Amino acid sequence: MADGLADKMIRVDMTKQTATVESFPAKWRLLGGRALSARIMIEECDPKCEPLGAGNVLVMAPGVMAGTSAPTSGRISIGGKSPLTGGIKEANAGGNPGQDLQKLGYRVIVVTGKPADPNKRYGLEVDQTGVRVVAGDAYKGLWNYAACEKLYEKYPKTASFITIGPAGEMLLSGSSVACTDEKGRPARHAARGGLGAVMGSKGLKFVSVDSGKLSIRQPAVRKEFFAYAKDYTKAYQAGPQMFKTGTSSVVPIANMLNTFPYKNRTEGQSPDAKNLDGARIVESFATRGGGMHNCMTGCIVQCSNVVHDKDGNYKTSALEFETLTMLGANCGIGSWEDVADLDRLCDEVGLDTIEAGAAIAIYMDSGGMEFGDAAGAKGLLRQIAEGTELGRALGNGAVAIGKKRKHARVPVVKGQAIPAWDPRPLKATGVTYATSPMGADHTAGLIVNPGLPPDQFARASQESQLANAACDASGFCQFLQPTIEEIAKYYTMFIGEDVTREHVADMAWNCLADEWKFNEGAGFTAADDTLPACMIEEGVGPNHVMKFDVSAEIIAAAKHRFASREELFKLKATG
Amino acid sequence: MPIVVIPPPYRGPTQGLERIEVAGRTVRDCIDAVNALYPGFGPQVLDANGQVHRFVKLFRNGDQLAGDVLATAIAAGDQLEVIAAIAGG
Repeated sequence: MADGLADKMIRVDMTKQTATVESFPAKWRLLGGRALSARIMIEECDPKCEPLGAGNVLVMAPGVMAGTSAPTSGRISIGGKSPLTGGIKEANAGGNPGQDLQKLGYRVIVVTGKPADPNKRYGLEVDQTGVRVVAGDAYKGLWNYAACEKLYEKYPKTASFITIGPAGEMLLSGSSVACTDEKGRPARHAARGGLGAVMGSKGLKFVSVDSGKLSIRQPAVRKEFFAYAKDYTKAYQAGPQMFKTGTSSVVPIANMLNTFPYKNRTEGQSPDAKNLDGARIVESFATRGGGMHNCMTGCIVQCSNVVHDKDGNYKTSALEFETLTMLGANCGIGSWEDVADLDRLCDEVGLDTIEAGAAIAIYMDSGGMEFGDAAGAKGLLRQIAEGTELGRALGNGAVAIGKKRKHARVPVVKGQAIPAWDPRPLKATGVTYATSPMGADHTAGLIVNPGLPPDQFARASQESQLANAACDASGFCQFLQPTIEEIAKYYTMFIGEDVTREHVADMAWNCLADEWKFNEGAGFTAADDTLPACMIEEGVGPNHVMKFDVSAEIIAAAKHRFASREELFKLKATG
Repeated sequence: MPIVVIPPPYRGPTQGLERIEVAGRTVRDCIDAVNALYPGFGPQVLDANGQVHRFVKLFRNGDQLAGDVLATAIAAGDQLEVIAAIAGG
């Protein structure tokens, strides 16, 4: 139903291993993805709970527009209290599970409790006949690709899956939640914040979602909705389409701007930038196959690359800018092919490539291994999969390995590794890292504008955080770069009621407010809204002059709402 | 005079300036003119061979330029917009 009143939600009690279907509350009908996850966490989860305990709540919420014919709109948010940061976390992914859930009428899955026996594994089945918790021991310990292959032996090809790898099962704080792409590969990850461990703590190895041949969700104002989506698509395709060769194509720009971290962020440029440039990946398509594709049905951005090995066999997808930077340049590794291997290993084991890259770089920086040792780095990822003592420390992320190695240069905010985009040349982005409820997160509000005057940092950060929160609630991909104004138009035509752009901006603000409130309840204070000493004292760029030298007042200002201005409504989401 | 619109990633050399009026009859003239005023801008748009970086797109009055982009004529009052990729997950 277009108005959302007949929508449903799934509640899963992993203490009793039961799954039930309820009506989706009307008060939440314009909430989806990140905003819905934040609301549920505020209403149903004690912020002081143990992240890996029965009291934590795991939320799987597709965006509001998922399952519709709006382009590139099927993303899903995974939410909960993060074992990595100790605060609220939302990580979102492409792939097809979000759309499939919405086609079945399910707006969200809320998982509570945990099984008495931590060695048991379960799955959640969702299809047209209902929802069930089923035995999952047959998949225990399997790496993500093997798990999905085995799942497809049991479930139809029309199904999509949400899975965790061994890292999630071992409750490691750097673990991810994988979603299958259009080809059924577990290559799309809700990676940040260790939500794979939360899923693992609940004994949930997989969720299968089979919408069969159900058609897309129908809007209330059909003719106008379809016409708007068609025009929107045409306009996008007539534009520059900056991501049509993948996010890895920004490597040269990032390197030029000193935001291509090298050797645990001791430099902002890598001498290997040319080898890590996404252009090399695109060049490989001619002789090896692979190419660009859409990670979810109905995507018009098609930024996802499919990377093949020298023999023409599938290796990984997608090899993104963040991964090439954090597992490549930041570890002193200069070959994109080595990074492709590392990316595949992370996807297999179920790890955030950013956190893993930061952890390995810290290990190297502390003398554990030479920078640039690609074979050694692959061995470290295998150690994580095997659960060795060193592997567990690495798998628990940057802070954990920093403590183990007694190493001071640990570039994190609120316990989460700083992503590739560096807060020293991009200071307004640093304000986002400091103030975002998510910790350092490139999807929270990226501002790639090194010329921005300091008096504009706070507003720029806040507006970018609002644009991205609105996007992550809608289900649209940040690479489609929808504006708040455009999201309001889609909502209006979908539900058949006037949803103003001001309302969408308010919902985005309420999402941030919910998340800040949760973190406050978890024990965070303004003192946590800061960047680590290595970002403040150590510079990058010519003569290492670029440092994060933004005042506490400017940082604090980003959390007080500015009056909305025209630019906010027209600001493109950017991740 | 033509106006060159600078994308956010390239506003470091222009000290934050977004729109710069310059004298020039072609795209290359305009880029060279901005670089003369704000050294460091040019290499962000043009590679070592003097060609447009592949990750940069140029638009004149809203229309994307193709072919011999740098030789394209620019008239007084035209808006030359430089677009650069600025995101990456």
